[in-house]
Amino acid sequence: MPKIMVVDDEEHIRLLYSEELLEAGYEVVTVGSGHELLPKIAEEKPDLVILDIKMVDYDGLDLLQDIRAEHYDLPVILSTAYDTFKEDMKSLAADYYVVKSFDLTELKKKIAMALETRLPE
Amino acid sequence: MAFYEENPQGIGKADLVAAILSYNDADSIGVAVERVSRGLKDHFGDRNAVLINCDSHSVDGTREAFFQAPSDVPRIYLSTETGGSGKGLSLRNLFEKVRQLEAKAVLVLECAIDNLTPYWVAALAGPLFKGTAFVQPLYVRHKYEAPLTSALVYPLSRCLYGRRCRQLGSGEVAFTGAMAETFLNAPGWSDAVSSSGIDVWMGMVAMTARVPICQTVMHAPRLRRSKGQAPELAPQFRRVLTVLFDLMVAYGDFWKRVKWSKPTGLFGMNGRETEVPPTIDVKVARLHAQFLEGFAAYEETWRKIFEPATFNKLMEVRSLTPEHFTLPSQTWATMLFDGAVAYRDADAGARAALIDCFLPLYLAKVVSYVKRTERMSIQQAEDYVEAICEVFEENKRYLIDRW
Repeated sequence: MPKIMVVDDEEHIRLLYSEELLEAGYEVVTVGSGHELLPKIAEEKPDLVILDIKMVDYDGLDLLQDIRAEHYDLPVILSTAYDTFKEDMKSLAADYYVVKSFDLTELKKKIAMALETRLPE
Repeated sequence: MAFYEENPQGIGKADLVAAILSYNDADSIGVAVERVSRGLKDHFGDRNAVLINCDSHSVDGTREAFFQAPSDVPRIYLSTETGGSGKGLSLRNLFEKVRQLEAKAVLVLECAIDNLTPYWVAALAGPLFKGTAFVQPLYVRHKYEAPLTSALVYPLSRCLYGRRCRQLGSGEVAFTGAMAETFLNAPGWSDAVSSSGIDVWMGMVAMTARVPICQTVMHAPRLRRSKGQAPELAPQFRRVLTVLFDLMVAYGDFWKRVKWSKPTGLFGMNGRETEVPPTIDVKVARLHAQFLEGFAAYEETWRKIFEPATFNKLMEVRSLTPEHFTLPSQTWATMLFDGAVAYRDADAGARAALIDCFLPLYLAKVVSYVKRTERMSIQQAEDYVEAICEVFEENKRYLIDRW
């Protein structure tokens, strides 16, 4: 069962994503703060990270760079309420992005794509 | 392969090679030598660096100007032999010289770039000393700049080889010494690669070599000096599509195993101010007319190589007025996939004709892209290019089934 790490400082988003992704058959771990993220990734070894961009204590795009420095091919999906973040080239390092919504159809589609991605070893 | 060399300082080894490509660039190579030398001194002062002028048998005194330019960096001049010219041939000479010098890192810059700065040396070569094997620049571009990349090279290379390298084939590049060896032994070397097709070829060979690739953010547009005539579209299109199809044939076992795509690493996110690209104007009416003219020459070929549903869609597209013109990305992808299959099965003579028949279709895709993005910002147009790529990826199963 693929393990998905949800990183968001809003509790209701963490709850929503957890419930829906558990129901979809994934194992879910949540992280509420950017500061905790890198040690949590090392500890939990997720198969995919869903990363909020605008967090109170951290910029998700900076965190994405930190993740890439240590985990070059770990799938990361950016999750945001704002479309303007794409003007920042740092967002190119993400596998996919989704605009936050209560309907998680698009998010689930991108999760499936990211987990199915295959490059020859 | 033989090449002409002048190595007056008898340089036998180097860590870092900075290559400047030239062809009749006597007027500008001095400035390039100065700027690249400054970049090497400022950013890689502790490395054993050498400047190599990779010339295409210039007859205007480029060699003399290269050696006369003020610089403390040791210099070597290489040239193609008499009668041989082309960027690919110059770079093949470079790969061999890199092997002889046992260099660890190589960056390649074109002499005819007006806005080259010492920072470009750091941006290109920097990632090579941090574990990257192949570096592709990411320039600031207007939405209509380099449509060949946006409509063809990026969607196809990404869906085939699984790495998102947005500006593959843009001119400058950097790679490790080990990659130079890989290039010397890679398949698909052709006349197209010997000339300007080399840029796209190197990128795709790197993608199949399973080495770390990164895009380095240049924060500037690429302003190429005009040498009095605009580069011709048709020959460049032919070379690029030939390289794409040749490598599809050579690397079938690789790309059939690729599903979806991954981002590449990014370098150069250092807060430098980003410049604004110059505006590009596209003459849509002329391109649309050329697309329609293509039916006279190629309709029967298209009928033969495309599946009936795709051919019928193309006939629908033909009937659209310029105001309402669109060539759906799925149709474009399917035509290219059908074309690749036909190319694989064709003999050498038929392959050239097959490549030619795609030029009007490519122009149709450019018209469609321009119409669709005319009211969009550069960022919105980029999102649209990403959507085109996703259509290619979603339809890859069709290609695998037909292959």
